Amino acid sequence: MAKRPLSVRIRYGFIRTYRPVLDDEPYRSFETMEEYRQWCEQNLPKWLGFARI
Amino acid sequence: MHAAFERHQVRYLFIGKAGAIILGFPDTSQDVDVFPMKDERNGRRLVAALREIGFDLSLERETDILRGKDFVEIKDGPFDIDLIFAPDGIETFEEAWARHEDVEGFPVCSIDDIIASKRAANRQKDRESLDRLEEFRIYLRQRRP
Repeated sequence: MAKRPLSVRIRYGFIRTYRPVLDDEPYRSFETMEEYRQWCEQNLPKWLGFARI
Repeated sequence: MHAAFERHQVRYLFIGKAGAIILGFPDTSQDVDVFPMKDERNGRRLVAALREIGFDLSLERETDILRGKDFVEIKDGPFDIDLIFAPDGIETFEEAWARHEDVEGFPVCSIDDIIASKRAANRQKDRESLDRLEEFRIYLRQRRP
């Protein structure tokens, strides 16, 4: 399907940069997806794009 | 990761942008999105596989995974991983599994489910990629025999 092998797509497709707030804690868990979505909307900078439209 | 998950017989699917990348979508992601089957035995297998890979799972983390909390994100392991036990837009793991794609042994949600999940989540970043993912779906279908 894709011309580049899967191993190459995986190697270059996953990157680690830094997203303020989101990447400042090593671990989070949420009981429900709604709780997670609300946390994102209340805590993350809007420009990260995690807020619902 | 995939090899460890296979060894421990974890039932899971790649989902989200990670799944799309494995399907061939030319984009990047900062974390690996995994949709594990929510089941205590599968949770134990998942915990064992993650530990084998190098994730440091405290008792609290292990408990969260065994309970199958809807969303668990781990950012201090060998790579960033999101465990999404109840992705938006998908009813059950078994239904998603019935539609999944096998990409060289990697179990991936169908492009339909990836799109459905992003549409249901309806975040700004999902909205930005939906048009391209829908075009990618057409491309995938045209490439199939």
